[in-house]
Amino acid sequence: MERRNFLRLLGFFGSALLPGCRKEGTHGTLISQLVPPGDGVMPGEAQWRASTCNECPAHCGLLVRLREGRPVKLEGHPDHPLSRGGLCLRGQAGLERRYHPRRVLAPRRKVDGVWRDLTWEQAWDLLADALHQDRQAGRRSVYLAGRTTGSLSGLIAETCRAVGLERLPESELYAHANLRAAHDLLFGRAELPQWQLTSADLLLTLGADVLETFVQPVAFAGALSEARQNPEFAWWHAEPHLSLSGANADRHLGLRPGSEARLLRFLLAGLVARSPWRERLPEDLRGLAVSPDLPGTAAATGLEAQRIEELAEALRQAERPLVLAGGSATAQVGGLETAVLAGLLQRLLDPEGARLSFARGQNYAALGTLNDLRGLAEALAAREIGVILVARCNPVYNSPDAFAFGAALAGAGLRVALVDMEDETSAAADLLLPLAHGLETWGDAEPVAGVLSLFQPLAEPFGEARGEGDMLLELWRRLRPDAPPAARSYRDYLLAAWEQRLVDQQLGDLARQGWVELPASAESAPALRASETAAVLGTAQGPAATATPGLLLTPSLRHFDGRGRPLALLSEIPEPLTTISWGQWLALSEADARNWRLKEQDVAELSLGGLRLALPVKIQPGLAAGVLTVSREALAGLPFAADEHTGELLAWRDIGQVRRVGRERLPILAGSTSQHGRGIIPDPVHQDAHPVATRSELYPEHDHAHYSWALVIDLDRCTGCSACVAACYIENNVPVVGRRDHLKGREMSWLRIEPYYDSGRPQFLPMLCQHCHYAPCEPVCPVYAAYHNPEGLNVQVYQRCVGTRYCSNNCPYKVRRFNWWEHRREAPLDQMLNPDLVARDRGVMEKCTFCIQRIRVARDRAKDKGRLIADGEVVPACAQSCPARAISFGNLRDPEARVSRLIGDLDPHRVFAGLGTEPSVYYLGCRRPA
Amino acid sequence: MSQEPGLNAGPNLAPAERLERTVLAAMSRPSLRYLGALGLCGLLVLMLFAIWGVIIWQGMGIAGINHPVSWGVFITNFVFWVGIAHSGTLISAVLYLFRARFRTSFNRAAEAMTLIALSVAGLFPLIHLGRVWIFYYLLPYPSERLIWPNFRSPLVWDVFAVTTYMLVSAAFFYIGLLPDLAILRRRLQGWRSRVYGWLSLGWSGSLDEWRHYNRVYLFLAAFATPLVASVHSIVSWDFAVSIVPGWHTTIFAPYFVAGAILSGSAMVFTLTIPMRRILGLEAYIQVDHFEALAKILLFTSLIVSYSYICETALAWYHGNLFEMEQFRYRSFGDYWFLYWIMILCNSLLPLTLWRKSWRRNLRWLFILSLLVNVGMWLERFVIIVNSLAREYSPYAWGTYQVSLAELGITLGSFGLFFAMFLLFCKLLPVLSMTEIKERL
Amino acid sequence: MEPMQVFHDREEFLARLRELRDAGHGWRDLDIHMPFHVHEVDEIFALPPGGVRFFALGGGVLGFAGGLAFVCYTVLSWPLITGGKPIVSVPPFLLIAYLLTILCGSLCAFGGFLLLARRPGFGEASDVDAHGDCFMVRVREEKKR
Repeated sequence: MERRNFLRLLGFFGSALLPGCRKEGTHGTLISQLVPPGDGVMPGEAQWRASTCNECPAHCGLLVRLREGRPVKLEGHPDHPLSRGGLCLRGQAGLERRYHPRRVLAPRRKVDGVWRDLTWEQAWDLLADALHQDRQAGRRSVYLAGRTTGSLSGLIAETCRAVGLERLPESELYAHANLRAAHDLLFGRAELPQWQLTSADLLLTLGADVLETFVQPVAFAGALSEARQNPEFAWWHAEPHLSLSGANADRHLGLRPGSEARLLRFLLAGLVARSPWRERLPEDLRGLAVSPDLPGTAAATGLEAQRIEELAEALRQAERPLVLAGGSATAQVGGLETAVLAGLLQRLLDPEGARLSFARGQNYAALGTLNDLRGLAEALAAREIGVILVARCNPVYNSPDAFAFGAALAGAGLRVALVDMEDETSAAADLLLPLAHGLETWGDAEPVAGVLSLFQPLAEPFGEARGEGDMLLELWRRLRPDAPPAARSYRDYLLAAWEQRLVDQQLGDLARQGWVELPASAESAPALRASETAAVLGTAQGPAATATPGLLLTPSLRHFDGRGRPLALLSEIPEPLTTISWGQWLALSEADARNWRLKEQDVAELSLGGLRLALPVKIQPGLAAGVLTVSREALAGLPFAADEHTGELLAWRDIGQVRRVGRERLPILAGSTSQHGRGIIPDPVHQDAHPVATRSELYPEHDHAHYSWALVIDLDRCTGCSACVAACYIENNVPVVGRRDHLKGREMSWLRIEPYYDSGRPQFLPMLCQHCHYAPCEPVCPVYAAYHNPEGLNVQVYQRCVGTRYCSNNCPYKVRRFNWWEHRREAPLDQMLNPDLVARDRGVMEKCTFCIQRIRVARDRAKDKGRLIADGEVVPACAQSCPARAISFGNLRDPEARVSRLIGDLDPHRVFAGLGTEPSVYYLGCRRPA
Repeated sequence: MSQEPGLNAGPNLAPAERLERTVLAAMSRPSLRYLGALGLCGLLVLMLFAIWGVIIWQGMGIAGINHPVSWGVFITNFVFWVGIAHSGTLISAVLYLFRARFRTSFNRAAEAMTLIALSVAGLFPLIHLGRVWIFYYLLPYPSERLIWPNFRSPLVWDVFAVTTYMLVSAAFFYIGLLPDLAILRRRLQGWRSRVYGWLSLGWSGSLDEWRHYNRVYLFLAAFATPLVASVHSIVSWDFAVSIVPGWHTTIFAPYFVAGAILSGSAMVFTLTIPMRRILGLEAYIQVDHFEALAKILLFTSLIVSYSYICETALAWYHGNLFEMEQFRYRSFGDYWFLYWIMILCNSLLPLTLWRKSWRRNLRWLFILSLLVNVGMWLERFVIIVNSLAREYSPYAWGTYQVSLAELGITLGSFGLFFAMFLLFCKLLPVLSMTEIKERL
Repeated sequence: MEPMQVFHDREEFLARLRELRDAGHGWRDLDIHMPFHVHEVDEIFALPPGGVRFFALGGGVLGFAGGLAFVCYTVLSWPLITGGKPIVSVPPFLLIAYLLTILCGSLCAFGGFLLLARRPGFGEASDVDAHGDCFMVRVREEKKR
């Protein structure tokens, strides 16, 4: 396809902004009614364009909503093969990264400890000089990037070759080194496969936090939600602590850290004792066919023998099982053995690889490990490195303290960081080059082999920021005037790369929908390398599972590996298990807290070798004794080691003494995490002793002829990931209020996830305005600021509200939030506001409106067509973003609507129905966790 | 033939003359002590308005209220001051209908207390508004959007009730003042005589005037009497009409009215015992009168105690989870200390008034009145804050800490009250001379 | 104009009034001024109750009916559903009407008083003040026959 045509397609089908991005500010001179805009973008109308999320390596597909030329909302692309329309809270909050007030917007140089802005010319000169000098001096100059997929990887390789930079293996903290090494051993593929869950009827995960950060959390959550539609499906999760994944699994096995391998050996032994698995076991691995030692395994893992036997039986009975190890299970000494055993178990259970595909591998093969960082640190310390360019990773923060990477950097000649915001690595750098945001540049990503996802510039980059591709090409041009790159810009480079790789049809798909799925090669599952596997398994006996108390470093749902720290929204939304928002904490079991005489919010000091770590304590029910957890972003450093052999992060370490050294308040947003018998979640265990009486109302119901909007939340699908919360914040301009107000309980979330711990593990309830038909908040408002509109919504008229706060007092669900202050957003965050609704004044009450602004748009469109709104035309932000599709919205007056069908047959639960409020939010199902 | 009292008239002065002189002496040039007290109260008033200005400028966040306790000290103060007002009307109107003679010693000061307390109370619905600059949305006026206030809301009932109460009390107060203003017109000189003269509307005490005066006084008393019962009932329905556990109970109306009379009587003691001493009114406000008022205080205290018992016993008896937890929380939760002080001050200490000697001991009555007012303030605080802190949703449970801003405004409101009362003592006759003359 | 007869003693005053009544003077013929109201005077002259009650009653009825009508008008002119309650909500509307009854009745009674007692009126004030705090009576000028 000719390049012209491709661009035309982009423009025609609307997946690209028209060429020549406008400068911000032309709309200031626009008189919308009289003078049509030159670029055809009507003020007041939204445009939708495809893009890709950059907040974590999963690269979910996006649809970006643009208003007046600015991205104001990110949504998952509904057809994207991986995320299927879901977008996690990090992805939603990622929009804030584009508008962050502390973005680096110009090249900067550190002179005498002070940053000074430079022009690009000056920056390039500086860099080019340094590179020249180092080449002449014979020093190595290196390029270190975070995980890079797609065409950029090719460009980095070409540029490094052309200018004489050494391209180092990509650096990520969660590089899944042990898993890749295990697959290399087992199958000769040092790669992560794609795990296909949707067709499975049994899922066993060991350690892998599939709902939080493990590889493709959004895709996983969606697949899990679908898999659960099969009533036979069961999910067993084994981990030493309690994570969000562990909270949501059907069965949670809280085993001793390090004993995963023991458990797997038992399961394997139990399996290969019978047909057909006995036949599938290769000759070399007969050593595994020992008699299963249930009592020994139970003792080693700390699990009940009955549970282990139950799991073994379930594995044998399952027709399409899937076993997956990762996360905390493999990030330990002996993690490689665990990964190998899990891979082997899966191969025995699924010899054709129906649920494990390397053809659609996760593209982690190019990733380095922490060992590479160790090597780099040694080279830096030995002054072997001249120029070091660091792009999209934070090795100073995400390398073990023992490497002393930050100090080692001082040994480099010139330290250059390509960053969008300052971080630990940029603080140690000499030269900062400002990176443009994913929404501001061209690019592509290939999170999974064969799925190509588009980045396109949807707005001008702020300041002097540029895309990495363009920077590389510029560097190439300056350093090699004799052999310049063929492409004049990164866009040209991309188009050329795509033309080479994609056929016309696929190019068209990419242009039209923002992603393309290339056909997977029809290869069969790779052969099992039995002898190599046997070699590894034979020698390793696994470490004795530790008995001393220890600290587990957990990846963070909200901040990933710490990269989410600058985004205020991610700290504003509480962590679902603990409901703590701003702050760092240590999670302890109840038994340990008693033992060490620690109360919640006491500051505990742990001794870790020579290091002392002091953090306030949060008691986590369901956590096993002897296991303490800390989330990645709570630590300023990384006092954990890396496996010498594989380079995997060792996320568990023993701790010595624990003592109380003070007190620090934590903003724990939940007043109580128990239902106190009030029947909030429809589990008979929690119902109050008095059953909910059917009420006959004193007053007849008002008629809502055409629409009666309702929301149905399936608690079996909901995982508590809080993606809906983030989406709501951004869609509705909900202010981020900060730690001080959170300590007072003044958080502004319209939608929140309430964890209830009445049965050991938490059950999550998304709570939002219930839009009651007999709303207690409406009659008490003295000025009619809260009333029931003809479509069955409880509406809040901001302009009318005088702020008496009686409505909030009378709401039994406490979903109404008052604006205690005037919340001004620091520029340019104010450009992120959704213009479809006002940002509220101080003194005004606000709450969930079922995204009435979306209902209004849909109603206008439907009215133009002379009909009512059809089912599915209105999707509130929360429902749209949910990776598990737990939320459905629709019109109860439409008998064919999804909500009507969900409600009609099932008589679903409503919270506090006995109060007679007649809510419009229905809650389906609830597993009883065991 | 006129009869001027002699300037050197001694103790043989006619009682009426002595009365007028004593009361007028209170209105003489202010002493240094008076100015000092007024100045101190004035500073508190300035503090109130300054803090309020900051709240308007920056937002309600300066106060300690939060989610879920979004009503705190401001509403406590509102209910407190409205409650105090009721006793004044009880004394002037209800006791008039009951023909209780002793009321004449107190009724002027009590009516003034009513008006002043209502004025102070009226500030608080404004202070607690998030957007006070559009407070007029609460008033029924033909607006540009043709939207009226929501008459189903107890807050709008409050607007009507407190306004009605204020206007009726003001009318009642003014009517009662007319003959006394005539006395002032007669006895004072210069511009003061002219001002009081205008205010007295040329009252001459003719038979025709008296004829209509009696009727209007009777009607106003008759209209004001149901107001005593209904205004605080309506204020209590701010709480009772909601679904909040601990608020949603029908006992609130009589409970609050009794509490209002209790706190109001106590405030009458707080004001009149020192006033009597300082202004030398011992001949007119006698211990018997205090004793009668003390009986009212005791009676209302018993009703309030009964209400406490009723509430708590019913909460325990009927088994409603939410309400049981609420009452357990009140007695043993985060604010248990305040609850038990409240019980002590409102229920236990007034029991001392069963003994005649305690009833007639003015020092004890004064101290008790201060404690009862502390207790009654705490009662409103306990009701409001405890109920909001622990409602239906356990996730939403929270607590409330009084902020310095709220403390400052509370003190400021007391300053405003006492400042206005001091001004009243200086500008208007503290005793109803005309009515006392009737019984001399 | 006859001079005011001034009494410092109640009983003397009442005796004089009885004399005047027996001499055929009605209360309208006399200027009677008292520092406080003496109930016996009403009995002596069999005083009619006066018109303030009509003002009070009229005001009360106006307040009730007007209040109720007004409130009903406001909800019917823009019917907004609040809490599922009926648009014309009887209990709170009766409450508002009750309050307006009292308000209107009181203010009308007050206004009626001012009207009937002809206040403000300064005719006799200085006269009365000159005499001080005492009972006064005088016979008004007799009409020329």
